Amino acid sequence: MTEPNRPLSPHLQVYRWLPAMAPSILHRASGVFLSLASLLLVYWLVAVARGPEAYAAVGRVFGSLPVRVLLAGAIAAFWYHLIAGLRHLALDADLGFDKVTARRSSAAVVVLAGVATLATLALAWHQLVLS
Amino acid sequence: MAEFRLPAHSRYTEQPGQHHPAPAGATRVREFRIYRWNPDSGAKPRIDRYELDLDQCGPMVLDALLKIKNEIDPTLTFRRSCREGICGSCAMNIDGANTLACTCAISGIHGAVRIFPLPHLPVIKDLVPDLSHFYAQYAAVEPWLKTRTPPPPDRERLQAPEDQERVDRPSACILCACCSTSCPSYWWNSDRYLGPAALLAAWRWIVDTRDEAQGERLDALEDPFRLYRCHTIMNCTEACPKDLNPARAIADIKRRLSARGH
Repeated sequence: MTEPNRPLSPHLQVYRWLPAMAPSILHRASGVFLSLASLLLVYWLVAVARGPEAYAAVGRVFGSLPVRVLLAGAIAAFWYHLIAGLRHLALDADLGFDKVTARRSSAAVVVLAGVATLATLALAWHQLVLS
Repeated sequence: MAEFRLPAHSRYTEQPGQHHPAPAGATRVREFRIYRWNPDSGAKPRIDRYELDLDQCGPMVLDALLKIKNEIDPTLTFRRSCREGICGSCAMNIDGANTLACTCAISGIHGAVRIFPLPHLPVIKDLVPDLSHFYAQYAAVEPWLKTRTPPPPDRERLQAPEDQERVDRPSACILCACCSTSCPSYWWNSDRYLGPAALLAAWRWIVDTRDEAQGERLDALEDPFRLYRCHTIMNCTEACPKDLNPARAIADIKRRLSARGH
């Protein structure tokens, strides 16, 4: 049926970023990022098992600025993914499906995740740097 | 796998599109940038610019398209019929969202009005996409009453008013394809994912108390792609020009499947 020379109409190139679409893609992206960041956790656990020297080495790696930035990103991804997941759970239970509520809840997810991330980073800063 | 970029021959160029300036003396000038592709030209899609005097034009985007076709450029091709939001023919992507040109007010759009065909479909010409696959998916959910018991001999199959109300709203779907072609999941998986319009139609029969094939309908949908490519992005509900809620209907189908177990 499809004529091979027919162009495909533009999609992502022209579609406006709706209040629902961006958070959905962020949910996917944060999930992928968390999966990759969990390798750091594995690295840390392996070091725990291998003994004090390895553990000390990991401590130095985790203390370096690039890895700290990565961890801060993982904290943001964790909170976003968790809270957006709870929103999806509510939707699956048929809560908040009307357009206005859905828009508000996806904005609320971004705000809550931001607040939770800042609170976690503040706590970490307090624990690691000030004390 | 999701292909985010357009195939090379589908990429449109802003230049060298044709430019049709507003008539002299026009006061309320508005520019319309419209996707053009002619199967006979062999050229890539392009964007043409038309300037209209809104004082000489009706209020809706369809009025502008008709004015362009009648008075400026008769080669502009698009579908339209009822001009009052009931036929679904003039569905297109206007100002970055899918809607009906006939019910979309020009005054509600800021700046140049960008008009594209419905997204991620093969283009037949200009704003006319090929909807054959979309219609085939609608047919695939068997959108008609299926029964095993014989009908009462003296009357139609009766239904309580509140049961009828449940199918009232989904029955208002005009199959314009705004919802399905707004869905990123449908863009990447339309070969196997039924999309919001077909699933809303399936749901309309699943919840109809007169229908006796609910189990078979659910069986047919229990598939990782046909149903479960819906990730509740909700672009469909945002796009629907009839203010229906396909996302909610799909969630209800998922809930019914999980409730009945295996």
